[in-house]
Amino acid sequence: MPLDDDAVAEIYREHGPMLRRVVWRATSDANRVEDIVQEVILRVWKQAPEAENLRAYLITTARHLIVDQYRAAGRRPQQAQLVEVAEQDSALDRALDQVLVEEALGRLQANHREIVRCLYYERLTVAETSVRVGVPEGTVKSRAYYAVRNLRVILDEMGVTR
Amino acid sequence: MNPGSDDLHVLLGAYVLGGLSDEDHRAYSEHLRTCAQCQTELGQVSGLPRLLDLAGPAGGPHLADGPAAVPLPLMTEPDDARVTSLLGEVARRRRRRRTWLSGLAAAAAAVFFAGGAWLGPKLTEGTTPTPPTTHVAAAAVPGSAVRVDIALVTRGWGTQLDIDCEDMPKTGALALWVIDGKGHATTAASWRATATGYSKVTGATALRPNEIQSLEVRTETGKVLASAKT
Repeated sequence: MPLDDDAVAEIYREHGPMLRRVVWRATSDANRVEDIVQEVILRVWKQAPEAENLRAYLITTARHLIVDQYRAAGRRPQQAQLVEVAEQDSALDRALDQVLVEEALGRLQANHREIVRCLYYERLTVAETSVRVGVPEGTVKSRAYYAVRNLRVILDEMGVTR
Repeated sequence: MNPGSDDLHVLLGAYVLGGLSDEDHRAYSEHLRTCAQCQTELGQVSGLPRLLDLAGPAGGPHLADGPAAVPLPLMTEPDDARVTSLLGEVARRRRRRRTWLSGLAAAAAAVFFAGGAWLGPKLTEGTTPTPPTTHVAAAAVPGSAVRVDIALVTRGWGTQLDIDCEDMPKTGALALWVIDGKGHATTAASWRATATGYSKVTGATALRPNEIQSLEVRTETGKVLASAKT
């Protein structure tokens, strides 16, 4: 059975902003974003999936819609098309994974995110990070631990299982 | 200094992200050899650096200083207006769905009528009663966008399965499986994928419609594309 109006509105309110960001950054087409997001929610409404992980389901559905639109836009009667589509798909998959990783970093607690930035992206040592952030080295280590664990959980929730 | 096991355990984070001193790195590598829990946890998070690399050298807009680097021009419209527009679309599609459902109700009426005709002493001799038909729309499994509509037509020999498929894979072979109450699955139809992704085929099974528990459309490798419970 399809979901009722309240359930649809709730899913839309809760997951709409995240979906909009992901779709916007993956397609860079402002005119299409809302259409795609609404279509994602409508599919969920219609199919009422018994998905344990609704966020991952929504993102997978969005991924398919974006790929479909990409294909429809680039459809040309050429022999080489199959190869082109495959290459486009993997580029698109990468772009989408990038957006999802960035989204996941955004969902991380701020003091954990700061540790990821220092240790991973700025290649600072634990000792340097301790000075930069102004907390003991032991705190840097335990924050790094929880940052890594939480990031994994957030990515799993988004269906990024690699 | 001789840190306890708890202290070592927590080094997993900086071990994955980088930044451990040589001393800590050695201590943790040593600990990892014998600690099953750390081995498991490392297995779960060891893919993170590759993912973090996807976000680019600076980790993307959320890690950038100041306001987000990528503007989001879509956040200006009030959200309630969007919810209203979404629910309007839901209502529109629900109406469409009702039309389809009333078609199904008509089919159910035909079942009833046909039943009556069979009970009576050949009142309708000379006319062929419409075989009772039930329509089933198979829901695509997550990750699949196929659309499948299956009509179960009651026949003297079992059930005829009229299958309409759209947005199917364009290569390989496909099959319709029927699963009975005991979970036993048999193939009721198989066909080659078409270039358009659309196909209309008819299958058959000895099972009666009420003996069919569920229907599945699978690829030749056994991947389920869509399924429906009857």
